[in-house]
Amino acid sequence: MNRGLYIILLALSTIAILACLVIDFEAWIVYTVAIFGIPLWVLSLGLLTMAKAKPEDVEERVKEPFTGY
Amino acid sequence: MNLMAEILIQVVIAFLAGSLLLGLHRKVMARVQKRPGPPIVQHLIHSLKFFFKETAIPKTVSKVFYVGIVFILALVWIVGVIAGPVAHDSLLILFGVYAVYKIVEHNSGSSSGSPYGKLSCVRAVLSAATELPLFAAIVLVYLMTGTMNIGEIITYQSVHGPLAFSIPLAAVMFFMLIITKSPYSPFAITKDKALISGFETEHFGFLRGFMLFSESIAWYVMLWVFLTIFFGPLNAVGYLIGMIVITFITGFINATTPIFSPNHSVMTQITIGAICFFGTLLMIFTGVVA
Repeated sequence: MNRGLYIILLALSTIAILACLVIDFEAWIVYTVAIFGIPLWVLSLGLLTMAKAKPEDVEERVKEPFTGY
Repeated sequence: MNLMAEILIQVVIAFLAGSLLLGLHRKVMARVQKRPGPPIVQHLIHSLKFFFKETAIPKTVSKVFYVGIVFILALVWIVGVIAGPVAHDSLLILFGVYAVYKIVEHNSGSSSGSPYGKLSCVRAVLSAATELPLFAAIVLVYLMTGTMNIGEIITYQSVHGPLAFSIPLAAVMFFMLIITKSPYSPFAITKDKALISGFETEHFGFLRGFMLFSESIAWYVMLWVFLTIFFGPLNAVGYLIGMIVITFITGFINATTPIFSPNHSVMTQITIGAICFFGTLLMIFTGVVA
């Protein structure tokens, strides 16, 4: 898992959102930051907080029970 | 108020109110079916709980797409919050949001390797029939008010009275969309229990929590839009009562109606949409509506 990448994404989205809270940017900039920044913040936070399988259980977890097409 | 602060507050309100309303919806359905049902806060607790649950990405999924589609689902409903409660912008943006939501249903199913997800993805194409009555309702609102801007529609209603009384059939069409998007709906062919959880089957753990987060916002935005464009300027108490009443009504309907087969679902939606659309046109052009 790319823990480092998730931390960077969380930091970037947090900084962008905080910057818009502190500075009065033009509306289109705030909308862009909100539209991409809020989902990115939740996504990166979730990827960090979610529990991961133990190394010995990983294979079992990712195995697809259905064969698909 | 700072624009970002306003957006954040509205997103948090949408998430909390939407979660509690969906919890209420489950409770109403349970009571109608003579079950105690889960507590009203259960949906909210589930959404938060899943953020800490073990999550793995199955081997058969398309990885980037599998995670990306959940991100897009949240993105479109943040756009919904901005276009609706925050900016009172055009109804066409909200129509676009619904259209992209349909694409999310489709692609969420297809990105998973599961046949259940894929079958749900195929049904998502069929259930695009829902968008026709929605578009027709927007057209009728435009014919009456001469604008698609939500702010101007509110102003129109403050002068002429709520649109629900002048073009009730258009309101019925929009209400049908709300029923379609409500949990356990008779029109929810993409989430038929025969398909396990439909397009969400392979999204579990944190990703399911993220989807529940977006769906709570979606429910709030849909109810907000319906109340705003058909029941005129409302204060916070008006919105609260309206949302609770609609949640009760949809809960009753869904608890007592079995899910339709895909062809019946599509034909019912199109038939109701056509009757309401031409009925409203008739009312407008024969002068029944001033």
